[in-house]
Amino acid sequence: MAVQESAAQLSMTLKVQEYPTLKVPYETLNKRFRAAQKNIDRETSHVTMVVAELEKTLSSCPAVDSVVSLLDGVVEKLSVLKRKAVESIQAEDESAKLCKRRIEHLKEHSSDQPAAASMWKRKRMDRMMVEHLLRCGYYNTAVKLARQSGIETRKKALQSGRREPAGRSPPGHGHAGLPARHTHLPLQGPAGPGPVADADPAVPVRQLPAAPAGEQLRVHAHLAGRPLGDKDTCYKEDGSSKSPDCPVCSRSLNKLAQPLPMAHCANSRLVCKISGDVMNENNPPMMLPNGYVYGYNSLLSIRQDDKVVCPRTKEVFHFSQAEKVYIM
Amino acid sequence: MPPWPRCSLMQWTLPSPQSEAAMEQCASVEREVDKVLQKFLTYGQHCEQSLEELLHHVGQLRAELASAALQGTPLSATLSLVMSQCCRKIKDTVQKLASDHKDIHSSVSRVGKAIDRNFDSEICGVVSDAVWDSREKQQQILQMAIVEHLYQQGMLSVAEELCQESTLNVDLDFKQPFLELNRILEALHEQDLGPALEWAVSHRQRLLELNSSLEFKLHRLHFIRLLAGGPEKQLEALSYARHFQPFARLHQREIQVMMGSLVYLRLGLEKSPYCHLLDNSHWAEICETFTRDACSLLGLSVESPLSVSFASGCVALPVLMNIKAVIEQRQCTGVWSHKDELPIEIELGMKCWYHSVFACPILRQQTSDSNPPIKLICGHVISRDALNKLINGGKLKCPYCPMEQNPADGKRIIF
Repeated sequence: MAVQESAAQLSMTLKVQEYPTLKVPYETLNKRFRAAQKNIDRETSHVTMVVAELEKTLSSCPAVDSVVSLLDGVVEKLSVLKRKAVESIQAEDESAKLCKRRIEHLKEHSSDQPAAASMWKRKRMDRMMVEHLLRCGYYNTAVKLARQSGIETRKKALQSGRREPAGRSPPGHGHAGLPARHTHLPLQGPAGPGPVADADPAVPVRQLPAAPAGEQLRVHAHLAGRPLGDKDTCYKEDGSSKSPDCPVCSRSLNKLAQPLPMAHCANSRLVCKISGDVMNENNPPMMLPNGYVYGYNSLLSIRQDDKVVCPRTKEVFHFSQAEKVYIM
Repeated sequence: MPPWPRCSLMQWTLPSPQSEAAMEQCASVEREVDKVLQKFLTYGQHCEQSLEELLHHVGQLRAELASAALQGTPLSATLSLVMSQCCRKIKDTVQKLASDHKDIHSSVSRVGKAIDRNFDSEICGVVSDAVWDSREKQQQILQMAIVEHLYQQGMLSVAEELCQESTLNVDLDFKQPFLELNRILEALHEQDLGPALEWAVSHRQRLLELNSSLEFKLHRLHFIRLLAGGPEKQLEALSYARHFQPFARLHQREIQVMMGSLVYLRLGLEKSPYCHLLDNSHWAEICETFTRDACSLLGLSVESPLSVSFASGCVALPVLMNIKAVIEQRQCTGVWSHKDELPIEIELGMKCWYHSVFACPILRQQTSDSNPPIKLICGHVISRDALNKLINGGKLKCPYCPMEQNPADGKRIIF
């Protein structure tokens, strides 16, 4: 990868980027916990009611048959309680496990194996892209991308029997790397039929961060224009100094980055136009008589019969005419 | 350029030296989640068990009462006692179950608190929206960048889908090279060298100009594959070896190695000193080589512009947020006006040095077309503004070596 991110830098970025990644499943966990509590409380009170009735009957010398039928009622209510409790706990456990899975995914950023770490970075980018696409309303694309980059895991969560708009299967809670953003996805969008308030209306919008990660893609694309770009070289009108590797020189980003502030550079860093290598003590910058500067090693490599041709102006000079320049 | 105190700002924004502490974030949230999971587990088991017991107990009582002997009779005193004990037990058990579940709540909320503590919930306005005039246009350009990125990554169907959904039009000349590259790469992944060889041969001249050894490597891989086929393939391998002839000068050593390995064909290459030739990593390597060379040929970067931008944004974001917090804390908001320049340098690594940047050592500013770098007679380079400032009585003294010179002798240089 071109951009070097040390483990410490990655952790810093994690801190500001991944809040929604964890917070959203947490909110689901919270919600399911409350639902479980409600269920258990409700069924418990049913059981208590039936038992109270039984106790009342007991105090008034009942016949065996009436006791038996009341007992049947108790058995029934206890069974319902058991069933509901098991279901609710399962649901809670599921969302807690999702939280755990996401944390484990995030932990991989600091993996010792470089392959795992760069896979993580790639998945991070894909995650942000999927989210951005969802925010724009391009659901099908988002799903396809999620599928292809392997961040969509369980489809079971999607067929939840709630009213999902037909023809759309948005990545739901089951996705290892994807925060579910149903509640504040924009309602417009070509593929957006029906209300988005399908999956989890109980997760209030205001609890989720105001600048969600979907915005981050936009933010990142902008921020990048800054540290990478260089006003004069990337935006020269004749395009003469474009570099194929420089992202700001590429078509679309060039336009995007234009209004952005420039990077701040306190120290010089010189790159030879011929080879792309750094010019420093090991490859000292040399000035040709026309004022253009190249690395010593590159001049050596293009030297023919003691002459060099300036790649930019095509002027021919003697190799000995190159003068060393001193950069402090 | 405002001469803000860059040094003092820098010291506040360097990342904390304990990177282990930073990675604690995930660990501390994980601890809380693990606790919750444990609690759910024990609660679930306990709940099921106690309800099972209750049901069993009640079931037994019911069976006893329902036996024919007691039909139609009033309830005996002993049974009544047993029944009321049972009722009490049921009430106590279920109420305890409800309150036990409630107790888990504190553990659950601790997870949320751990998340809030360790992660920032807002990307405070590091980007000012006012920078663009039209949001739709910006969105469109961004969408375009995404499409280009998807093509470059080889995710063609996703790119197509996005074009459809966003009604963007990508012209065929842009797509074409990617389609071809992708086709060849897919074949390589299937260990089919054909399309790649075809491509390499047709671009032979330009590849040689790039000093690329792609064609040779492809032939070599094919040869090795023949070798792996065992002694029956010996003749075929030998006759294939003539493909090496044009590369004899540049890759003499490698050809010698391969020819040498023929000796062990009967014995089996895996047991020979040449077993490294059979390494699977060669296949991964050839894909990379192909991608790199093909991109150079097409004038493309290997990594899409979007992914480089995104990655640099990821690096820049926390630094900028940090400094914004510091600026607000120290109430010197004038220091960073969004239009100008970032207030701090963001280290991206040397691979991101795409263009030369010269910072005048005297005025510590980047040079530009209006303020270009000038080489003095002694060879030292300063910016023109600095040069003008140093003129004293029509003469100029180089600040680094005390060589007096004429300002007009300074030569403008271009990096």
